Amino acid sequence: MSAYSSKALLAVLLASSLVACSSKPTDDQSADMQPVQTQPEVTQVQESQPVQPQQSAIALTADNYHNHPNNYDGTTSSRVIYFAFDTSSVPAAAFDTLRAHANYLKGNSNAKVRLEGHADERGTREYNVALAERRAQAVEKFLRVQGVSAAQIQIVSYGEEKPAAYGSDEMSWAKNRRVELNYLSGRPQ
Amino acid sequence: MIKRFVVAIALLLTISSVAQAQLMIQVTEGRVDAVPIAVVPFAIRGSSAPEQVDAIISANLHRSGQFRPLPAADMLSRPSSGAEISYRDFRVLGSEFMVVGKVEALPTGEYRVDYELHDVPRGTRLISETYQTQASQLRDVAHAISDRIYEQLTGVRGAFGTRILYVNHNRGADYPFQLQYADADGARARTVLRSREPIMSPSWSPDGKRIAYVSFEANGMPGIYIHELSTMQRQLISSFAGINGAPDWSPDGRRLALTLSRDGNPEIYILDIASRQMTRMTEHFAIDTEPRWLADGQSLVFTSNRGGGPQIYRLDLRDKSVRRVSFEGDYNSNPAVTPDGRYLAYVHRRGGKFHIAVQDLQRHTFNIVTTTEQDESPSVAPNGSMIIYATKHKGMGVLQAVSIDGRIKVHLPSKEGEVREPSWSPYFQ
Repeated sequence: MSAYSSKALLAVLLASSLVACSSKPTDDQSADMQPVQTQPEVTQVQESQPVQPQQSAIALTADNYHNHPNNYDGTTSSRVIYFAFDTSSVPAAAFDTLRAHANYLKGNSNAKVRLEGHADERGTREYNVALAERRAQAVEKFLRVQGVSAAQIQIVSYGEEKPAAYGSDEMSWAKNRRVELNYLSGRPQ
Repeated sequence: MIKRFVVAIALLLTISSVAQAQLMIQVTEGRVDAVPIAVVPFAIRGSSAPEQVDAIISANLHRSGQFRPLPAADMLSRPSSGAEISYRDFRVLGSEFMVVGKVEALPTGEYRVDYELHDVPRGTRLISETYQTQASQLRDVAHAISDRIYEQLTGVRGAFGTRILYVNHNRGADYPFQLQYADADGARARTVLRSREPIMSPSWSPDGKRIAYVSFEANGMPGIYIHELSTMQRQLISSFAGINGAPDWSPDGRRLALTLSRDGNPEIYILDIASRQMTRMTEHFAIDTEPRWLADGQSLVFTSNRGGGPQIYRLDLRDKSVRRVSFEGDYNSNPAVTPDGRYLAYVHRRGGKFHIAVQDLQRHTFNIVTTTEQDESPSVAPNGSMIIYATKHKGMGVLQAVSIDGRIKVHLPSKEGEVREPSWSPYFQ
């Protein structure tokens, strides 16, 4: 980051957070957005290095947890995809991250990933196994559409049996509705 | 008066049962018209027995919610046989029935148990029986006596000698998941399997000799196992790609209904255990799971979201036709059936809370029977009297039981970790 002056970096950070605030399709956006100050001049963004992830100014809530930029860094370091209640559609905030995983898998034929689907605790257990499998299948489909070979993807559903959070509140449930990308071989560093 | 007695019984159960017993029983709501009965402490002849037979009988009757045992401390006399009974001593305390008996240690090392059931207002004897048994089977004798008394007085076969199979979860333990079974009163808990990966959906065979369950022990992937309890031998009978889940034994013990998603979508299959032939029964792109056989062996009920949200459907195995059965609200799943086929118990969501509901298939009525709010996994006793299910109490998974009409509620607090996925055994021959 030595190519940037600290002032330019600040400009980049503020400009990027402006973009982040306006493009996320969450219901709570209008209520949670904090005022952002604009700079009188904006420095050109150099594309020589990828922009580092920064903290979004949108407050993290249970409702937007699945689609919150803080949960995805756009690289293969992000290994968990979250889901809204009663859905199995991959949230837009996760697209870049999943593309990164897809690119990695395509570039490393020895890499194999197991998509592990999970559900929150509400409802009955075997039905939740089926719901969680739908989520894992949605992530699989995304990867396949990006060109990943089926041989590199395995799927398993744990339903509500392996929670990440043990509370019985909305935030715990939001953290449990997820698919984890578990590399069985060729894990990215 | 009742409270003191219940506490005393609970203490007795803890002292006399094995240390690792997971379940303790508390009746939270009994019938208002519960029948007052006096179970007089049995006389002991010879060395004291390892089990307090009268205490077990009393606790059984109390736990059914249909009897109100008289505290021993209130008894004016302690007869141990019909000849010694002064009925007036018990009429004055309001008892309608009384049980007297004795336990005698025999020189062979066995025990002889005599008991009698008497009608107090009429002053007549209803039952007089004797058992001779090993020390290790005194609990079973107590349950058999309880069954006889229960059937004599209610007309319904007793289920006190049955067992509950369940999953025990202890977060942070080396093997957090354990599959266990215990007596219906919580005593004699035994571990069948311990694992670092989840265990789900335990199910009894109709003769009570085998169980089936889902285990993720094989590298975190699900498989269905059949486990023989007397030998502790088991076989993996299903480990296809995708879901292997929800095994349920057919009434003739020869087949398992289960859920597989090997074709890309969760469907109900029937496995013939001897031939290992797997036959797919549902053909719909929706989720089909949680099958339960009906007693005629010709159809089963299951959960499907083919109508948009999960509801209960009935599948006729002869022609694979499917008919919807539940119509209240937008979430109904995990059905259980009473042995006479009349009632369906399942999980019903209302206002975001999950309760157990009972549907009367004959009268076409629907009734929510629980006030607990995170209910799942209903399982019906083999005499159709009670439904055991899992729920949460103060954030921890526990089991509760409720009668079909909802009037009797029994709380089973867990001592160690969390308990869930109960399966009530059949009668044991």
